[in-house]
Amino acid sequence: MASLGYFTLLAAFVVCSYAAAVCVAGARRRAPRLVESGIGAFYLVMALMLLATAVITHAFITGDYSIRYVDMVSDSAQPLFYKITAYWGGLDGSIMFWVTLLSIFGTCAVYTNRERHRELIPYVVAVISVVQMFFLFVMIVHKNPFATYLTQTPIDGRGLNPLLQNFYMAIHPPSLYIGFVGMTVPFAFAMAALITGHVDDSWLRAVRRWTMMAWLFLSLGLTLGMIWAYEELGWGGYWGWDPVENAALLPWFTATAFLHSVMVQERRSMLRVWNMTLVILTFFLTIFGTFMTRSGIVQSVHAFGQDTALAVMFTVFMVMLLVFSFGLVIYRLPLLRARNELESWVSREAAFLVNNWVLLFSAVFVLFATMFPTLSEAVTGARLTVGPPFFTKWMMPIGLILLTLTGIGPLLAWRRSSSSNLVYQFTWPVSLALATGAGLYALGFRVWVSGVCFALCGFVVGTIGQEFIRGAVVRRTATDTDLFTALVGLVSRSRRRYGGMIVHVGIVLMFLGFAGSGYQLDSQVLLRPGDTHEIGHYSIQYDRLSTNTDAQKQMITAHMTVFEDGVNVGGLTPARWYFFKHESEPTTEVGIRHTVSEDLYIVLAGYEVGDQAGSFQITVNPLVNWIWFGFAVLALGTGLALLPESAFAYAAATVPAGTATASTALLAAALTLSSPTAAAAQPLGLQGAQQEVNIAASPLEIDLRRSLVCMCGSPGCGKKILAECVCAEAAATREELKGLVAEGLTRDEVLRFYVDKHGSQEALAMPLDEGFNRLAWLFPYLLAATAAVALGGALVRWTRHGREPQLTTGNAQADAEFQARLDDELRNLD
Amino acid sequence: MPAKTVKLLITTLVLITALGGLLWSTMAEGAQYYMHVDEVMAEPEAWYGKKLQVHGYVVEGSRFRKPESLDYVFQVENNGEVINAAYTGIVPDTFQDGSEVVISGELDPHGGFTVAPNGVMAKCPSKYEAKPSLGSDLAASN
Repeated sequence: MASLGYFTLLAAFVVCSYAAAVCVAGARRRAPRLVESGIGAFYLVMALMLLATAVITHAFITGDYSIRYVDMVSDSAQPLFYKITAYWGGLDGSIMFWVTLLSIFGTCAVYTNRERHRELIPYVVAVISVVQMFFLFVMIVHKNPFATYLTQTPIDGRGLNPLLQNFYMAIHPPSLYIGFVGMTVPFAFAMAALITGHVDDSWLRAVRRWTMMAWLFLSLGLTLGMIWAYEELGWGGYWGWDPVENAALLPWFTATAFLHSVMVQERRSMLRVWNMTLVILTFFLTIFGTFMTRSGIVQSVHAFGQDTALAVMFTVFMVMLLVFSFGLVIYRLPLLRARNELESWVSREAAFLVNNWVLLFSAVFVLFATMFPTLSEAVTGARLTVGPPFFTKWMMPIGLILLTLTGIGPLLAWRRSSSSNLVYQFTWPVSLALATGAGLYALGFRVWVSGVCFALCGFVVGTIGQEFIRGAVVRRTATDTDLFTALVGLVSRSRRRYGGMIVHVGIVLMFLGFAGSGYQLDSQVLLRPGDTHEIGHYSIQYDRLSTNTDAQKQMITAHMTVFEDGVNVGGLTPARWYFFKHESEPTTEVGIRHTVSEDLYIVLAGYEVGDQAGSFQITVNPLVNWIWFGFAVLALGTGLALLPESAFAYAAATVPAGTATASTALLAAALTLSSPTAAAAQPLGLQGAQQEVNIAASPLEIDLRRSLVCMCGSPGCGKKILAECVCAEAAATREELKGLVAEGLTRDEVLRFYVDKHGSQEALAMPLDEGFNRLAWLFPYLLAATAAVALGGALVRWTRHGREPQLTTGNAQADAEFQARLDDELRNLD
Repeated sequence: MPAKTVKLLITTLVLITALGGLLWSTMAEGAQYYMHVDEVMAEPEAWYGKKLQVHGYVVEGSRFRKPESLDYVFQVENNGEVINAAYTGIVPDTFQDGSEVVISGELDPHGGFTVAPNGVMAKCPSKYEAKPSLGSDLAASN
């Protein structure tokens, strides 16, 4: 299987180079048949990458530890979900996953635009193919995920790093990668526009939606990363200005800038070089981010492998990228001249321009500060480092300026705002900001940065509310309906504008969360059983320490009782887990009590088994949940703005829109569920007494404990496998299981017993391999079959087109003319 | 057109100078020197009172905690040179005998190193390659 995977990668590389070469040749010779063939080859790459994915997924599910990568990041004890997500759990696999996503995205982009942007498509295919070739090349010569052991095959894998066995961590990389990969499409279109010289605004229309979608996924990836850091790493915060985090943030800044300045180009045909630059920079930063974190150029305390070979490859690629793309921009400079000039600084385009500068400055600043240790060592010889406080000091005012611009931008008119207009627009929002500030001051809030931030949030909410209300009132009068219907009509009529406004509301909510950190309380204490510790209006009592063991790990759990203003509001159970294969790296299971206004966050940092003393880090994080909630609103707004006009595009965009709705519902549900009781907030809900030491006697019993799930139905357990669950019912079931095994029942008989007992297969961790359940096992094979069908389809298409060249070209000519006319008309309508 | 270019240039220049100046001035207080133990102890007087990050290995059996408290003393060694460090707070799990650590804080004239709050960072003994994503910086951040 491993060699099949490797040959697939080789084939993908060859096909990629064919696609690039043939497309360029076809475009230059104006030979549509060559281009068609190149596009076919481009689709074929996707099919091949899906096949490679199927092969490696198969290896993970069946536990083929002769493949080194599978051995490194997976083992047999891992739940199926983490076995599959281990695909992107290491460097080699994540590069392959990246190429797969890029081929899927590229295919979608080419497929949807192949008629409308006929002249650009060959070069789009060529550019994306070259990017794919680079990553395929890296895999083939240096980081082959299908490399096998030359000598002995290990019996079991080494297991995925426990820190990564977390739901958010499993879905965080894919969404970040989709964001990164999505940025390749705008870049490819920009390059195609530059090469062909069709630098009018039509390429922008092709990429605007792609950029928005990629931006949404990038934001989602960043947010998931924050949640993971907050819930799993246990230092009380969510953003540490770590090089790896910064690498993902850099393209987000430039992409955000592009989404704003693109409006200026559409409206006023200005900033055309600037937009080109932003697209190139965004793509460059996605590659640079990968380079920075993977090659060891930026040293960080946690081990990033030094990898000189990889560093050299990336450097060569990045230099070529910069020379080629900026060379093209300079070459086409005469065509890119702006058609209008800035008329006044009190205009919306000026506000966008300032916003762009600030965002670009943020990107440059973060890049500079992240690279500073490396730079200072290169220049002065002494290694100087800058810590998170330095980042915070700079990014706080920058963030506040951006927040202010968020409010100001939509209030200004295009071209020029008159002074009466300014008064009309700004009176209410400014009053709201002042009222918020004064109100907070009167209530006794004294952290000034946070205070200013709250006031600015009031200002932005004021501007947005004003826009919505004024628009709705006008529409109500015009259409004669009630206010709410008018509001819905207003939003659906101008989705991009009001979607953008909703995104701004989301940003405001996130800023509320950030500002809340100004009021964070933090203490580190050593407690003995019975001791209490006061923090804020909480009083925390440490009851006892307990030890539990299951098949995968040993768990040390501290039991705390929380009193809020003297009232017992439930228990928290921070814990440390020692996975047997990673004893030296215990994971921190934070005890968090989520409420709308603040989180109580307790980490068990150390303990003495002898006298049961524990050292704790106790943090109160005000308003932190508003960050996650703000993201849900942001996703909703982006989804709304993405909703397109035509039916086909509608179908394409339901995915992000659906995600947004679902995530809002989920978040809202999570918030309401968790606020009244701490039980749901605790991921594990460790309950009851449990000095239980019920060690499995036989391999059969261990296997059974993994094959069955806890059925007690409490939200804390959430159907954990029996080996992991620590509630009382699971303990009882384990006892029962011991009895059954002692009676001499076989594995199948025991499983039957539980299926009969619960009346369904719900109690089984993995469905029995029969009937409908085969589907789950069939997944990799289905994937392979899809790949095969796609491959065959591509081949059939490819060969068939040879027979009807005249017809195609004739139609193409007519189509192109018609399309050009249609485009012109649509442009005038805009 | 030239007048516009001049205006643009001046604006850019002023902005760059202002931001660069600000960056420089804040950098002075934000930056820390990143040294190895032997580099610092070669000439300790030069480093008194400066913000340092010192890289080394925890000396076997040198870690002591005052009972009933979170006060630690320990020694960090590199290439034969040793620093005595004092710290109050929570230490990461990977802070063990012989583990590779980076401590941030200040050196005082008596040869002791006072570690800043959350200033103990221990390198993971992980066999793993680069973490796939967001960093697992337990102590450095806050």
